[in-house]
Amino acid sequence: MSSAANSFGNAERGLSPADLQQVRFSRASMLHPGYVDTEVDRVVHRAAEELARHIGEKAQLREQVRTLQAQLNGVPAHEPPSEQAVRILASAQQTADNYVAEAEQFSRQVTGEARAEYEEAVRLARENAGAIIQAAQEAAARLTGPAPAGPDRGGRSVAELEEQVAYLKAFGQACRTQLRSYLEALLSDVESEWGRADPAALPTAVRPPAQRAAPEGGPDRSTTFEANTTAEDPPAGGPADGVTAGTSARPAS
Amino acid sequence: MDIPAMRANFAKAAATGDEAPLYFYSHLFLSHPETREMFPVSMAHQRDRFFTALGDVVTRVDDLDALVPILRQLGRDHLKFGVLPAHYPAAGASLLATLEHFDPDWSPELAKSWAEAYDVVATVMLQGAEEAAGQPAWWDADVVGHERRTLDVAVLRIRPRARYDYLAGQSLSLETELRPRLWRYYSPANAPRPDGLIELHVKARDGGPVSSALVRSIGVGDVLRLGPPIGHLALDGESDRDLLLVAGGMGVAPLKAMVDQVARHGPPRRVDLFAGFRTAEQVHDRADLERLAQENPWLTVTLAVSDDPTSDLAQGGIADVVLRAGPWTSREVCVAGPGPMVEETVARLREHGVPPQRMSSEVFAPSRPGPSVDGEVTE
Repeated sequence: MSSAANSFGNAERGLSPADLQQVRFSRASMLHPGYVDTEVDRVVHRAAEELARHIGEKAQLREQVRTLQAQLNGVPAHEPPSEQAVRILASAQQTADNYVAEAEQFSRQVTGEARAEYEEAVRLARENAGAIIQAAQEAAARLTGPAPAGPDRGGRSVAELEEQVAYLKAFGQACRTQLRSYLEALLSDVESEWGRADPAALPTAVRPPAQRAAPEGGPDRSTTFEANTTAEDPPAGGPADGVTAGTSARPAS
Repeated sequence: MDIPAMRANFAKAAATGDEAPLYFYSHLFLSHPETREMFPVSMAHQRDRFFTALGDVVTRVDDLDALVPILRQLGRDHLKFGVLPAHYPAAGASLLATLEHFDPDWSPELAKSWAEAYDVVATVMLQGAEEAAGQPAWWDADVVGHERRTLDVAVLRIRPRARYDYLAGQSLSLETELRPRLWRYYSPANAPRPDGLIELHVKARDGGPVSSALVRSIGVGDVLRLGPPIGHLALDGESDRDLLLVAGGMGVAPLKAMVDQVARHGPPRRVDLFAGFRTAEQVHDRADLERLAQENPWLTVTLAVSDDPTSDLAQGGIADVVLRAGPWTSREVCVAGPGPMVEETVARLREHGVPPQRMSSEVFAPSRPGPSVDGEVTE
């Protein structure tokens, strides 16, 4: 066999049908007759065919493996999870759920209590403020009342009296502001009432000057009106009445 | 498809309460671990919802006309969870395994019926998802404003990064990274604006993980993830009938959006908005509502309190306040708020003479997550 015959079937690539087909045997000498060419050729040819068949089959199998793998990934055609696994995961999930629920419950309780406490604190503060204001009103009534307490109570010094005068002045100012906004609200109510009855008669650029809410629905009107009538008295009757009207509106101001 | 047999079989699974959905999800997560991350840590509420939704589908399965639009919406909505077409057969297999597990009389015929029914449902849902192919599965939105209004109410302003179309009165679902996989529904308090800003009113529920985070932890610069809008309240686009809007508490949001809609796009119509709260302190959007009433001569806003005798606001339950100010018989009416308030208001207005077909309403319930077949909405 020649070197060509020896080198066929490169170890790297494996044996290809072409390798077999290209193989050439050297001519036999007259003294030592070699194989019959045709026989060798036939064997080589058959080997090549055989190899080709193997290669084809391999490709086919590879393809088959690939499609099976794809099926395996796409469809849960494989083994379903075992009962035991499902049970274990289910109880683990339930444990987790319980922890989360407990945390939520705890948070609900804590915020709920905090809110209750906050509301209670605000309520107390309001009541407190109301009591202070009432005390101030009483004090004011006493001061402006029958006669000045007289110099004999000089102990309640000038400074103290001055303080109260300043307070009353501020109060008067507050009452006046309050009164003005009530009047303005009344005015805007009247306007809107008028406007509702006859929108065309309303001046186009009407913008009620009040900072209060724009006219509201029916039932509210009567309340506003009442509040205004009460508030109208004070200039004549002294600050006390005005104060009452003022306190009710205070939280909003 | 043998529908009575399927219903009987479903009833057996449903009768076990939590057991069946627990089995279903465990089965699903074990056979397809990648689906686990689409769900929140705690599955408790999810389980309720899943079987409720499935029960709804089963009861309506012979009324496909009614079911199809709901399923399409559901399929569209599931995109935001990251659901892919491949997940549908996975869930189907686990569903069948569950139904089999809880039914001693399981038969191949039943399996075939369920497989067919599931196939129909999945196909319709997938169609719904495909119809939305041009849209993102979800929208990222930047928080650009966060204002605490009361102890537990905040007003958020968010700007979606991509165009987000919705109608005044609709609501949207959202998720925050602080509470992954917990989706909640909120109603924008404005009609769509050219600059894309959306105003949301959020009330922190005691122990509510998402609402508390939105009120107390979220700030400007955070990102929310939005699902597609879903419709509940809506204005009849054709009508220019005068409007009566009645809100209880957080129900103000969608109705304010409707006022905004009328202001921006008309048609010109009178609008009377009534909003009831427990105390004056809880009126979380007073300044803005009063400003709207001042700016728009066609609008009146009446705020009322039911439990705050010293307040200068209208006194009484909101239904009483509304009816005192009537008559409303010619109006188109929208009502939004807590369940009892909505029920009472709608009933009283019907008595008053408003035809039911001219009233729409939306119940704002303390939150529970995710899409149901009926697309429940929460504050």
